[in-house]
Amino acid sequence: MSLPIIILCLISAVLALTMLFAKSPITSALCLLGVLLMTAGIYGLIGEHMIATIQLVVYAGAIMVLFIFSIMLLNLSNSENDFKKKPALFIFGITIGFTLFGFFAYSIKNHFQFHLQDKLLGIFTPQLVAQLGGNSKVLSHALYSQFFVSFEVISLALLVAIVGAVVLAKRKVD
Amino acid sequence: MTNEILIQLLAAFLFTVGMLIVLLRRDTIMILMGIELLLNAANLSLVAFSKAGNMIEGQVQVFFIITIAAAESAIGLSILVNLYRNFGSIKTTTATTLKG
Repeated sequence: MSLPIIILCLISAVLALTMLFAKSPITSALCLLGVLLMTAGIYGLIGEHMIATIQLVVYAGAIMVLFIFSIMLLNLSNSENDFKKKPALFIFGITIGFTLFGFFAYSIKNHFQFHLQDKLLGIFTPQLVAQLGGNSKVLSHALYSQFFVSFEVISLALLVAIVGAVVLAKRKVD
Repeated sequence: MTNEILIQLLAAFLFTVGMLIVLLRRDTIMILMGIELLLNAANLSLVAFSKAGNMIEGQVQVFFIITIAAAESAIGLSILVNLYRNFGSIKTTTATTLKG
């Protein structure tokens, strides 16, 4: 285990918990921004530079700007605490959630090696990726050759989403 | 415990917290942020698994998931603006027209 990854994981976990318990939406939004930045850092540390950049630009840039913009636009103040009203339900939910996390952790610890059998490994070893010109080049080549149709369909989906957002947010003229 | 297992544990933890946010919070904007956290956890898990298995498909999948997440949050936030316009609040407890 390398120390930077441990630090990023710890900060990210603390920020996620703060996001769950925070009262005001703006605190939660800033914590989510922190989690996304830490995730981008982890991507960079394990060598996925292209995904780290996309995470920074799209997630931490565009999506968080949308969220913070709509919080400002709707002028959301501190909501009354959701947890004070029904503490029993809240404690029940937390218990169920962390039991689920226990199951996740158990199965990760015991079955992680399963997909690392030789017959399931891919061909893109770090040496081959370095030889082919780096992570960004390999990923972009795969996007524009093997996954070309999916790429085009995803751009169409983005267009539909833009039109849908404009239609939905338009003020009705009665 | 290796780096890969640590990252998978973090992904599971983020998924759990995101699920709790979606289920327990009453603000619509918090629910949308919880969905973003869930997608982020799934992305982290995909990238780490595909890196550990010497594959490229996981990263391509994450690229598509990030695009879909951007589209989803744009649609979700415009629905939220409409909700605020019609009910005067974005609490899920106020929008109960379908309750009957």
